[in-house]
Amino acid sequence: MAFEFLQSLADIEITGGLTLLSLFIGGIIMGVGIIIARTIRLLFTKYYAPKLPQDTAKNFGKLIYFGIIILSFLVFTSTTGVDFSGLLVAGGIFGVVIGFATQSVVSNLISGIFLMIEKPVKQGDKIEIPGSDVTGTLLDISTFSVRVRRFDGTIIRVPNESFFTSNIRSLSSTPVRRSEAIVGIAYKEDIDGAISVIEKQIRKSMAFVLTLPKPEFRISALADSSVNIEILVWHPRDDWDQVGPTLLKVAKNALDGAGIEIPFPQRVIWQAKE
Amino acid sequence: MSSDNSESALSDYGIYTISEKHEFTLPNIEIKIERIGEHVFSYIRKDAEDNILKKIIPITSSDLTIELCPIRPLNYPAHRTNHVYLDFESPIFLSEDSAATVFVRCPIEVGIFLVHDGHKDSLDWFTCDPLNSRFCLYGTPESGTLCKYMNSEIVESYDDSIPFQNAVLKIDIKNELSRGVTVSKIVFPITGNSIYYKNSKAIVDSLTATFKKKLTLEIIDVDSIMIQTDWIKSPTYEQSESIKHMDMGVD
Repeated sequence: MAFEFLQSLADIEITGGLTLLSLFIGGIIMGVGIIIARTIRLLFTKYYAPKLPQDTAKNFGKLIYFGIIILSFLVFTSTTGVDFSGLLVAGGIFGVVIGFATQSVVSNLISGIFLMIEKPVKQGDKIEIPGSDVTGTLLDISTFSVRVRRFDGTIIRVPNESFFTSNIRSLSSTPVRRSEAIVGIAYKEDIDGAISVIEKQIRKSMAFVLTLPKPEFRISALADSSVNIEILVWHPRDDWDQVGPTLLKVAKNALDGAGIEIPFPQRVIWQAKE
Repeated sequence: MSSDNSESALSDYGIYTISEKHEFTLPNIEIKIERIGEHVFSYIRKDAEDNILKKIIPITSSDLTIELCPIRPLNYPAHRTNHVYLDFESPIFLSEDSAATVFVRCPIEVGIFLVHDGHKDSLDWFTCDPLNSRFCLYGTPESGTLCKYMNSEIVESYDDSIPFQNAVLKIDIKNELSRGVTVSKIVFPITGNSIYYKNSKAIVDSLTATFKKKLTLEIIDVDSIMIQTDWIKSPTYEQSESIKHMDMGVD
């Protein structure tokens, strides 16, 4: 009965040697291929992926899955005995047309491959693309784009090509970072005294500022209204939010506490004697 | 140690069984534990800046048992590293092929553990010396090691720790180089060292620091050594680290 049914399927020719039976067998091969691909990807994800970096594991998972499916397709085509050379010629012409139309897509794909090979940054790194508003934590590098979670909680998607050709500033590849602030004191004030009170206040109230390297103080400008002191402090890389935004406040409080004037912009006008 | 009194001088480390109320007085810190229900206690910690931490502790037994003990100095202001950098107030000079043993002060924090059914769970931790609990960097900003910093005095014996602020650490220093060297600092992962206490004093597992030549480089090979003592070993809740060894560069 079943044999007769299969025989009847073999008799129905769809096109140039491709029968309904070979299509049926092909379907089974593809189905088994998909099941094998999913199983192997599942085993890989469970047993091997945890030992690899997240990006690499994800990409290997995709490679295994699609590799097995492509292999299944090749087995399917070879078992049917169908001549696909005509399709290949048509596909070649079609591919050129599609290639022109999807230039940016291919570019993103190639850039994504190079990003995965070069690995300028890895998943979880805090990054900044200077000149753009992209600053945050790298979520993943996928086939066509990179996703970054900005510090305001939103997620931004950057095409791989744009990411690959941009300058990328890594904020978390070193154990420590430096924060800077500039504060101005009046010309009449003692510079060393002002530096001393700021230094003491930083040591007292900023627990994340490193003792070594010591906070550094530079006179950045003899400006129009004030002597500008640049404060440079180091802190653990993940604690910028405990230092950067509060450094100026600490400096101002220290100067206020010591009665050191932070001048308003001012202009001295001399009138010629008549 | 069992206690119902509400007044005490500077407290000691140890295990306390509290049935009604107890106050601990530590440098810059006050802790008050009192019963607020049949099987419920309240825990209140106040620091020198009047910051208050309050916790409610439901228990199954009739009394509350806690352990007050020294712990590794890795938690304040946040856990960022397992390394400690001891910057000696007075550097030590060792002539060639010589050895010395020194006792130095090493920072600690204080932990409070809830003792129940044979377990010790971390209830709270704090530092009694917040102004001197700071980070530093050993090495370059690109590849250095983040450490907890302490300006460390050299002391005479294990009894010279300042209660609740530091412990004493013994370091055996050996110079195998063919020249005299000065040791001004030591950097090591403290997760390999246990802390022990007795009354209000604390000590840490000792270190060996050997100046040696590794190929063309002169290094200090730092290792942790477990000490044999009758002092009580502090519990810990940090993940212990298998690295008990550190190579430092020679200045």
